[in-house]
Amino acid sequence: MTRFLVLLRQRLRRDRLQLMLWIVGTALLAYAAVSAVFDTFGDEGDRREILGIAIATRTILVFRGTPNGTDDGAFAFFLLFAWLALMGGLMSTFLAVRHTRMEEEQGRAEFIASTPAGRISPLTATVAHGVLANVALGLFVALAFIGTGLDASGSFVAGAAMAASGIAFLAFGLFAAQLFRTSRGANGISVAFVLAAYLLRGLGDAAGTPSDDLLHVTPAWPSWLSPIGFGQFTGAFVENDLRPLLVPLGFAAVVVAFVYLLQSVRDQGASLLPGRAGRASAGPVLSSSFGLVWRLNLSILLSWTAGAIATGLLATSLSSIVGDVAGSNPQVIEMLRRAIGDDASIEQAFVATFYGVVGILAACCAVQVGIRARQEEVHGTAELVLATRVPRVRWLLEYWIVGVVVIVVVLTAAGLAGVLGASRAQDPETLIPNVLEAAAAQIPACLVFLGVTLLVFAFLPRATIPLGWTIVGVAAILGTFGPILQLPEWLNNLSPFAHSPVPSGDGTDWSGGVWMLAVGLAAGAAAVVAMRRREVTSGG
Amino acid sequence: MSTVISTRGLQKRFGRTIALDGLDLTVDAGEIHGFLGPNGAGKSTTIRILLGLARASGGEATLFGSDPWTDAADLHRRIGYVPGDVSLWPNLTGGEAIDLLSRLRGGAADKAAYALRKERLIEVFQFDPRKKGRAYSKGNRQKVALIAAFATPADLYLLDEPTSGLDPLMEQVFNREIDRVAADGATVLLSSHILSEVEELCDRVTIIREGKTVESGTMAELRHLTRTEIAFVQQPGQEAAIDAITGTHDLVIDSGRVRFTVDSDRVAGVLPMLADLDVQGLTVSPPSLEELFLRHYGDELATLGQAPRS
Repeated sequence: MTRFLVLLRQRLRRDRLQLMLWIVGTALLAYAAVSAVFDTFGDEGDRREILGIAIATRTILVFRGTPNGTDDGAFAFFLLFAWLALMGGLMSTFLAVRHTRMEEEQGRAEFIASTPAGRISPLTATVAHGVLANVALGLFVALAFIGTGLDASGSFVAGAAMAASGIAFLAFGLFAAQLFRTSRGANGISVAFVLAAYLLRGLGDAAGTPSDDLLHVTPAWPSWLSPIGFGQFTGAFVENDLRPLLVPLGFAAVVVAFVYLLQSVRDQGASLLPGRAGRASAGPVLSSSFGLVWRLNLSILLSWTAGAIATGLLATSLSSIVGDVAGSNPQVIEMLRRAIGDDASIEQAFVATFYGVVGILAACCAVQVGIRARQEEVHGTAELVLATRVPRVRWLLEYWIVGVVVIVVVLTAAGLAGVLGASRAQDPETLIPNVLEAAAAQIPACLVFLGVTLLVFAFLPRATIPLGWTIVGVAAILGTFGPILQLPEWLNNLSPFAHSPVPSGDGTDWSGGVWMLAVGLAAGAAAVVAMRRREVTSGG
Repeated sequence: MSTVISTRGLQKRFGRTIALDGLDLTVDAGEIHGFLGPNGAGKSTTIRILLGLARASGGEATLFGSDPWTDAADLHRRIGYVPGDVSLWPNLTGGEAIDLLSRLRGGAADKAAYALRKERLIEVFQFDPRKKGRAYSKGNRQKVALIAAFATPADLYLLDEPTSGLDPLMEQVFNREIDRVAADGATVLLSSHILSEVEELCDRVTIIREGKTVESGTMAELRHLTRTEIAFVQQPGQEAAIDAITGTHDLVIDSGRVRFTVDSDRVAGVLPMLADLDVQGLTVSPPSLEELFLRHYGDELATLGQAPRS
């Protein structure tokens, strides 16, 4: 028992900052979002209208939840729960893999297993750690709801639903860690599982049966496949039924039992899926350092591009529906207006919001390329390359070029996907140029993020990874939620995304884009040139 | 004979820490030069400066007469490098990493010849090139760097503790490869804290400590600075005569053997007295680098020994 406590304490200590950020961050997000919702959709009429639109257009439900009436709590639960549960799911699977497969991969688990702690009690400690983290997350989210003035019992049901779905994801993360030899593989499949759970319940909600008053939906069968779906079945703040949570908890119990079985029969370091033998010699891509940069960033590019394609498809396939519905909904028009400006038509505005998201995806992809340069340096592999005939300046220049290429690829893919989606719209001739303009309009902001990340890499190498993600994250939040949260103008203007040109027929104002293009290119060039004087830090 | 590596008063500071504090190192063309020092003495820092990965805070360093910081990429055409702790790309196989590094050094241009060289090295080092980088042990990661370094001919090899993680059999393979490149006229700088390795391979040695050069010379010159050990079987009644031998140090009589040391240039003077005593089972051992090392770091060891144990 003492050994178990030592292992548990070690986990809590190691994760204290990280988990605090996840938990407090999620709770704060819940608090801020609920408060904003009350400001924006204060009266019942507004909510009725929004629910009506959402149920009529259906696809919006994919990103929200199960409509369950217009009461404060139920409305907030509808807007937020799936999103919060997604955060909790990612927190849980990362936690599970971090303390199991990653430990094994890096050899630390072997160290622990050689002590009397053995191979099983570290797993038990990880399970306890993950359950505690989810209970804490549920509790904090419940308190955040209560803090906004929502009713306590409903808030605790919502918190319990978060914890239960999180524990189901924790179990899956532990299972994935048994499956794969590498933490990367285990994390990859876990994230896919969490996203699939989010999407399945989204499809369940979208395909559900609406009530006659267009205020409630009974979800369709896909929700039954998702822990988040079962969380929604609690009907927090209305029915307050905890019984559906037995399903994700039961799922977790069965999966964890299976994980214990696998852990007890397999060798330390081994996995259910064996690693494959690779090629004995390098292909033509690996003939130059540029080829290496390309190869190192290919998987990054593919995953962000997939997201961009999905967003692009949704943008145009939904815009026509929105055009129909929004005409009678001043509330929606008002919200879109606030984000877009006054000149654009509703379809243009809608396309622009979605391509704003595409811009964020492309920027994230570019930032990740810059961060990869730093990872190569820390890992020590940059040193291997720089000890050959590759000069420092050219080395970073190649990352910059690949960064520019990924921006163009992600945006082009999203643009083409949008064109494809538009072919089914009523008026593709006007929509298509709009889509292409909206995609191109994102390029300058993305170049700014790429340039700034590389500048940080050149001058404050240690800060590259945290600062790179923080800058793009804060800018994304300001860019997307700023207008809705009604933040001060100057704060919104800090975000490069706020200056991206918004296509509005003939009168598109490209000046912000031109400025950012100049800033982005200057930052990138300055970073590359700075490599003349920059040392390569040694590994670790 | 031309000088390949030359540093004079080389300094390197990381914030307040002083990594190099006036390091002098001269390596001539065609020599295998041992670069000895305990961990943290500044060996890797020196090599990183010579590679132009780090920049000297003071003093000067030249490689083939050029500045390693400004002319890094040009110099690297002539250099093979093996880092002390090899990291590989997790997603690239060992074989891919070897090919990539060889191509980046321009060594794979002659495809067929390169393939043969690579094949031979993979075989002698008994290396499996098909595994992903993250799956290799330390010794196998080291082999990737060694194979990549030796598969492309170079004028200078900078090897930073290249045998760490290799088993004794592989160390022999490594020694043969060093002999081979030296026979081709290459210069080798071999950093190590394993004295027997340096003793076996190197023509000249530089010993550094806390970022400073403390000793530099050929093996013979350095041995001159130390004492030779003489030992023989103890016979009754000789104690007085043994005490009378002049120039002895550290005399001990232990488990039936008499042992003492004399300064290496005085060995011949002691021999007649040993002959008079008609000693049995005489051994005369030249100083090992181990002793050389202990003499330079002896005070450090003594300090460590006195540290209170917790």
